[in-house]
Amino acid sequence: MAGPLDGIRVADFTWVWAGPTNTMQLAHMGAEVIRMETSQHICTLRMFPPWPDSKPGPNRSGYFNQYNQGKRAILLDLGKDEGAAIAKRIVEISDVAVENFAAGVIDRLGFGYDELRKVNDDIIMMSMSGYGATGPDKDYVSYGPAQVPMSGLSSLTGYKDWQPMHVGMSYGDPTAGLHAAFAVIAALFYRERTGKGQYIDMSQWESSMVVIGEAFMQQVMNGAPPERDGSHDLHMAPHNVYRCAGEDRWIAISCASDEEFGALCGVIGKAELASDARFATITERKANEDALDAEVEAWTSQQEPFEAMEKLQAAGVAAYPPLVNQEVMESPHLAARDFWVEHEHPEVGVRRHAGIPWRFSETPLAVKRAAPVMGQDNEYVFGELLGMGSDEIAGLVEREVIR
Amino acid sequence: MPDRALEGLTIVEVGTRGAASYGAKMLADLGAEVIKVEPPTGDPDRAIGPFPNGEAHPEKSGTYLYLNTNKLGVTLDITGEKGRAVLGKLAAKADALIHDYPPAEAEAAGLTYEAIRAANPDIIMTSVTPFGQSGPQKDFKASDLTMQGAGGWLWINGWPGNPDLPPLKAFGRQPSYQGGLNGALATMGALYGRSRGGPGQHIDISIQECIAAILEFVLPMWSYMELPVVRYGQRPIHPIDMFQCKDGAWIFVLCIEEPQWERLVELMETPEWATWEVAENRFVRASNWDALRPFMEEWVSQWNADDLYRAAQAKRIPFAPVSTLGNLLDSDHLKARGFFVEVVHPEAGTLAHAGAPYKLSETPWEIRLPAPTLGQHNAEVFGGRLGLSDAEIESLEAEGAI
Ligand SMILES: CC(C)(COP(=O)(O)OP(=O)(O)OC[C@H]1O[C@@H](n2cnc3c(N)ncnc32)[C@H](O)[C@@H]1OP(=O)(O)O)[C@@H](O)C(=O)NCCC(=O)NCCS
Repeated sequence: MAGPLDGIRVADFTWVWAGPTNTMQLAHMGAEVIRMETSQHICTLRMFPPWPDSKPGPNRSGYFNQYNQGKRAILLDLGKDEGAAIAKRIVEISDVAVENFAAGVIDRLGFGYDELRKVNDDIIMMSMSGYGATGPDKDYVSYGPAQVPMSGLSSLTGYKDWQPMHVGMSYGDPTAGLHAAFAVIAALFYRERTGKGQYIDMSQWESSMVVIGEAFMQQVMNGAPPERDGSHDLHMAPHNVYRCAGEDRWIAISCASDEEFGALCGVIGKAELASDARFATITERKANEDALDAEVEAWTSQQEPFEAMEKLQAAGVAAYPPLVNQEVMESPHLAARDFWVEHEHPEVGVRRHAGIPWRFSETPLAVKRAAPVMGQDNEYVFGELLGMGSDEIAGLVEREVIR
Repeated sequence: MPDRALEGLTIVEVGTRGAASYGAKMLADLGAEVIKVEPPTGDPDRAIGPFPNGEAHPEKSGTYLYLNTNKLGVTLDITGEKGRAVLGKLAAKADALIHDYPPAEAEAAGLTYEAIRAANPDIIMTSVTPFGQSGPQKDFKASDLTMQGAGGWLWINGWPGNPDLPPLKAFGRQPSYQGGLNGALATMGALYGRSRGGPGQHIDISIQECIAAILEFVLPMWSYMELPVVRYGQRPIHPIDMFQCKDGAWIFVLCIEEPQWERLVELMETPEWATWEVAENRFVRASNWDALRPFMEEWVSQWNADDLYRAAQAKRIPFAPVSTLGNLLDSDHLKARGFFVEVVHPEAGTLAHAGAPYKLSETPWEIRLPAPTLGQHNAEVFGGRLGLSDAEIESLEAEGAI
């Protein structure tokens, strides 16, 4: 047996980042994912940089190619009756359908759950809109970057006495996509035992709140949220990002116990700090955190970050520099774990992409192919899967159904 | 027919770092029976709060209460022989085991795949660790802060263009959540595979990889263009920004597609600056954002945040509020969806918890049980499930194994 989702087919109506992140997880586990796209509403991600040689093009985006690995893609104008009928035939031979339009759009397109059930009674359909399929604001539009402020994560993140901050990426998208993939497989598991499909209403807003659940507990218990305090932690000190030698070089360091703090004091050549009354226990270290940070930074600012990391790790202290993209991609550790995927792609050649963050011991997973160029699998899907002859396909192209 | 998606599955969780707790919670909330194994001193999350009125109490830690709904709780010292033998018995009856002990600690506690497989060859064992089970840094010490660094996330968060401000950690324990989330997903996949004839197996999850796998366009920026990324703010398109409104609340101003920008220009009543060449398209606006930003700021500052949010959405412009947690608990939309759920706990009382991110039409997500008190289900699990006699349980207790 190959991947656990081998033989499962996904009718993929998704676009941008959140939906495609979901279906990529399914592809990683062996599902055949068929992206249904049209040149009339090209997926935003296809039009996003980075592009090799700064030359844009819908098949050249590294952003799109990262999150659509292993999938197939066809062109189909769903706005045309013939196109819609063909999409239904794809749904008929699929196990799962996923979409992330704004709520209601899929119904207007004629692919609501009730319609899909008519052609495939045990289909598992997932909608993953920004606000969920119900509620007074359900029709609102949203993107992953907006989920960071909407969820409360921004109001919790920031330097002390500063404004709310973003978190540096559209964190709402992958968090939604991963939760969504989990729910789809749970529904497949249920279908395996009962023969029943179902509809899943997923809200990206809500999936961005479940990862700050403990902050809500603070608000509910005490009527106030945790305060923004940079990279500090209530239970660990030192716990910060410290300046290193050189321009814009840093290292993150955290000590979870007195013992680890003692080890750090040894490494930085100030063993006496461990017994200094200002720093002896976590309570004192928190009370004198500015002085503590100054002591640590006096050492780090003379150090090259990776050397500092090695010295601290050798003493059992958690330390790691904030890696810039090149350093992540050239990490000896990630290379040793064979994390990267490099497939040939017709328009961008061989490029390095992040792979699958899970290793299965008995049924090893692998990304099957590079992200698809637009319409790449028309022949396979219309011809092989749906049994259309080449004349029929040519007719659909001519009538601008396949476009 | 089962009422819940994962009814009938038994999962053993051995966690001390939040990751396994969250992954197992996801399975528990959809109906799996999760047996949470804590050291006799309790999961460290019992000590970190938040606590009502700031008064520490092992049964009232908000982090613990939130992460452990729907679980049975037992205590077991797996660093000793006796405790380990009981863990083997638990594993023998389980479908999956999720843990988050780093490799060396796992080895010392007998949490190796060899040992667990010997107890149950069909089990899915999932290890969620900072750097995974292999590679030169597998034994590196780690925290949520350093893992944001190692995954490439920390670098991109912070205030751009200010050399005195360091990269900034995102709030909370996001790497642990991502590890748990990936842990639940991969475990679910393997369990589904097994239900179709697939094998038991070991799943190795690296939190560093979980972060590197979700970095937006950050990594392709290098592999496609050899461009280093910079801290947030210098986005390839604009507007994507946060501003303070007249009433002091903040708003997130966002246009991804050109038609959204065009509708925003309408909403702004077509100010002259928006017609300049430097505002012509999303990429050009990004290169000139420093110059354009003050105009936008000025316009936004004339609005109250909620009015602006709703006015923008009425034109299908994807603005968003910068919510406080209080705003969210009061939100009419979230109330209508029943997102926050009241959970009654014997010691902590009734508290609203963040609920489910998904609604499954046939198999609802639900809270059946509050988080367990320390060792609450020892008798039920060790006696009822494993069939240990009272005398055996007492002797384990006497030896400190339970
Ligand atoms: C992303 C988003 C903001 C885009 O908004 P939008 O451009 O206004 O698009 P909508 O989802 O409202 O509608 C898409 C339109 O494209 C059409 N369309 C999409 N794919 C099509 C296809 N293959 N063939 C024909 N028409 C298609 C739809 O019918 C719809 O047309 P309509 O406006 O006439 O109803 C919106 O889809 C959304 O809020 N999604 C949920 C949140 C989300 O996932 N965001 C993206 C992740 S970051």
